[in-house]
Amino acid sequence: MVQSLDFEFVQENERAVLLFHGMTGSPFEMKKLGKALFDAGFDVYCYCLPGHGTSPISIKTVRWEDWYQDSTSHYRDLTKKYKEVYLGGLCMGAVLALAIASEYKDVKGILSLSTTLFLDGWTIPWYNFLMPLGLHTILRYYYSFPEREPYGLKNEALRKKVAALQKKNTVALDNYPMSCIYELVKMSRVAQKNMHKVKSPVLLMHAKDDDLTSPKSAEFVYKNISSSIREYIELKDSYHLVVMDNEREFVFAKCIEFLNRISEYNLEETGVCV
Amino acid sequence: MTLIDGINKLFAYLPDSLLAIIVTNIILIFGFMFGKLALYKFENKVKFMALYTVFISVVMVLYFISIIWFSLSNLYGGNAVYAAIFPIFLFLPFIIGHFASYERIHFYTNVQILTLIISLLLAVSFV
Repeated sequence: MVQSLDFEFVQENERAVLLFHGMTGSPFEMKKLGKALFDAGFDVYCYCLPGHGTSPISIKTVRWEDWYQDSTSHYRDLTKKYKEVYLGGLCMGAVLALAIASEYKDVKGILSLSTTLFLDGWTIPWYNFLMPLGLHTILRYYYSFPEREPYGLKNEALRKKVAALQKKNTVALDNYPMSCIYELVKMSRVAQKNMHKVKSPVLLMHAKDDDLTSPKSAEFVYKNISSSIREYIELKDSYHLVVMDNEREFVFAKCIEFLNRISEYNLEETGVCV
Repeated sequence: MTLIDGINKLFAYLPDSLLAIIVTNIILIFGFMFGKLALYKFENKVKFMALYTVFISVVMVLYFISIIWFSLSNLYGGNAVYAAIFPIFLFLPFIIGHFASYERIHFYTNVQILTLIISLLLAVSFV
């Protein structure tokens, strides 16, 4: 992974969405959602999280605080330029968005997709019970959890394409380094502890058959946030990568509908044509 | 007396829990030494490294069990010093893991190997 995969879709809108990609992923996986949001009247930004998008080794050297600081820095920059700033994330990106919202009360809304607080999906290997030992000893720098079928996708045609891309490590890694999972677990613990501080509106979308993380994570968020506006949609025909899988159009539509509902600059209601 | 006879006699003489500590210790020492080499040569062979780590984790679990077993049997046998010293080795891998970083993984692996050698020597001193 050498090319910059960051993207910005900007047209001087009043509102912006900052998207966060998933663990070992890249902004590539968020691009279609970004385009859909942009078409609906939002400026959209998505940057590679530290350790991602360069080399497979670099992901082993970062800590969750690096992801958090980098993301909050982008968030603060956007709040200076826009009247409304929303956060959206997939997998680890969703945890990151929730963690930021627990600290920054001015987050206008959150799109939390395939939130990964617990690694308890059906593709997690049988030897998962050894994970605490691997996570908390030096073994975490030796072990990588190999990405396997179905690669987070129920759609078989897409699965083949993503598998090919992963083999090249171009837009996502073909494995999850245990050290990266360790950092995610630490960030998840902080996010869980501060979940009650989240007061911004939250849209949760999670696949019933998510291969990496069961709906338990989304249910935890739904039960523990303090937001007066919260919505949980369970997807029936997708796996983990809900922004790329069979129901992606439905996911995009629901995200746009939710953001428009909570936005004070709803272009559809004011009759402004984009 | 052949070497095998000697080993057999030693095995018969040693308590099972001590034998378990010695065997798992030796496997772990060689396992981590191999791990250092593997990290250089096979880091990109994800499946191989996954299997290697699972193997080491299983041996480590057995090592922990043998330490608890050995400590408890010493506690009941009235040897409080051994019963108190060995449980320290239960926590050391986690303490080392807490401070470890990818950049200094070889240093921390050496520290891990050193603690295993110390626990092995301590176990052997009991013979």
